[in-house]
Amino acid sequence: MSHREIEELLGVYALDALDPETAAEVEAHLEGCVRCAIEVGQHHEVTGLLANSGGTAPASLWSGIAEQLDGTSDQSWDRLAARLDAPGSERAGHGPDGGPPIAPLAPIDAGRRRSRWAAAGAGLVAAAAAALALVFGLQVHHLNGQVNALRTAPQLSAAEQAALASPTTRKIPLADTSTTGADHTPATIVLTAAGTGFVMDDAGDGLARLPADRTYQLWGVVGGRTISLGLLGPRPGIVPFSVAGSASVTEFAITNEVAGGVVVTHNQPVAVGAIRV
Amino acid sequence: MGRRSGLGPLGAGSIRVRVSLRIGSVLVDVEQASDANLVVAVGRWHEPALAEVYRRHGGAVHALARRILRSDPPAEEVTQEVFLDLWRHPEKFDAQRGTLRSFLLARTHGKSVDVVRAEESRRRREERTTRETATAAYDIDREVWDMAVAEQVKDALVALPDELRQPIELAYFGGHTYKEVALMLDEPEGTVKSRIRSGLGRLRMNLLERGIEPAGAEL
Repeated sequence: MSHREIEELLGVYALDALDPETAAEVEAHLEGCVRCAIEVGQHHEVTGLLANSGGTAPASLWSGIAEQLDGTSDQSWDRLAARLDAPGSERAGHGPDGGPPIAPLAPIDAGRRRSRWAAAGAGLVAAAAAALALVFGLQVHHLNGQVNALRTAPQLSAAEQAALASPTTRKIPLADTSTTGADHTPATIVLTAAGTGFVMDDAGDGLARLPADRTYQLWGVVGGRTISLGLLGPRPGIVPFSVAGSASVTEFAITNEVAGGVVVTHNQPVAVGAIRV
Repeated sequence: MGRRSGLGPLGAGSIRVRVSLRIGSVLVDVEQASDANLVVAVGRWHEPALAEVYRRHGGAVHALARRILRSDPPAEEVTQEVFLDLWRHPEKFDAQRGTLRSFLLARTHGKSVDVVRAEESRRRREERTTRETATAAYDIDREVWDMAVAEQVKDALVALPDELRQPIELAYFGGHTYKEVALMLDEPEGTVKSRIRSGLGRLRMNLLERGIEPAGAEL
């Protein structure tokens, strides 16, 4: 169909009044035609006003939604990579006015206030650096075996294994900060050149399983700021994260927090690691 | 493999969340975060952000699904699908192309229409759908009654000439294809197609004249 023919269909497309085959043709056109995409957006805004009967969201339905989040989020490397590469994903990171990109967001515990990471973030970094100095020499020899073990780990998807095998991907072993675990590497950060990555809890020898009301939380020092890179859950396994679009991350840390996570931590990290320049 | 932590209070009858997000260097209560910021947080599998999106827009989504489907069970199913889709594919929302609410409602409409058409297809095997059945489905009062701008929206719609308003009503609220609408109204398909597009444009102008500014980028 020509541009003009597609244009004539934009109204009925916005109302879902096309057959699936024609709708697919319009959608393909919209991918490359900003003008038509904007017009469809305007039609959706108008119909949204017609449709909006207001009212409160039925609370009973939320529990049904929340139940399905577990096990369906499929935080695989493939999904994360697809999400970050998807057209528009960067735009979604802008404010409504198309402002500058929004920095990574951190979960927070309602009871906490930004006191430590804002003010004491440097303290954690210092602690992490100290711990690194302590364990760095011991962990280097462990790295090769660690990476080899990761590469053959059965739970890695093909994409994760490919990322792991890439020469531009960094593998950052995190050091156990406990006094008894100096030669123990509970988890490894796998970080691609694109800024996407995943943290891998070493199966059988990794982070101790936490009770259901606790979670591990991943932190990164990015552009001089300490930010949350996401919740890892009480038994992490493989969890993707991203620092894409941000300045380079220089250090990583994992803390043990209340379920739901915190925006600033009061806890010392259980594992730390830094990227060697 | 541990993944998500539960959100106990959310499942206990209340969907209010008392958590915050860090946006840049600023700590923002999740209830104060913009829709775009919430979607970014959803992209990071931040459940409280999705809960807040649901709190803001779940009512409208459910109401539209129920309006089109005229039955609670399938409407609830569509509502859940809409929010689970956002959880799984937040990148499909483009803040530069419109509001999150219109995005969610468009998704709701599409899913509801799919259900309607599947049901229609089944029913057509048993009986012919009459014109009366289709036109009786429309009830704009019920649709916009609770909106703060209900009267203006209603006025804007009523201000449309019948030939522009009817096909929009039948397609949008009735879930009919424009070809079906053409049959119902006994008009050429091309005419209906053009009238729907013109009608939506005129409706937008009518809303603007009444001080209601639908979001979305300008051409």
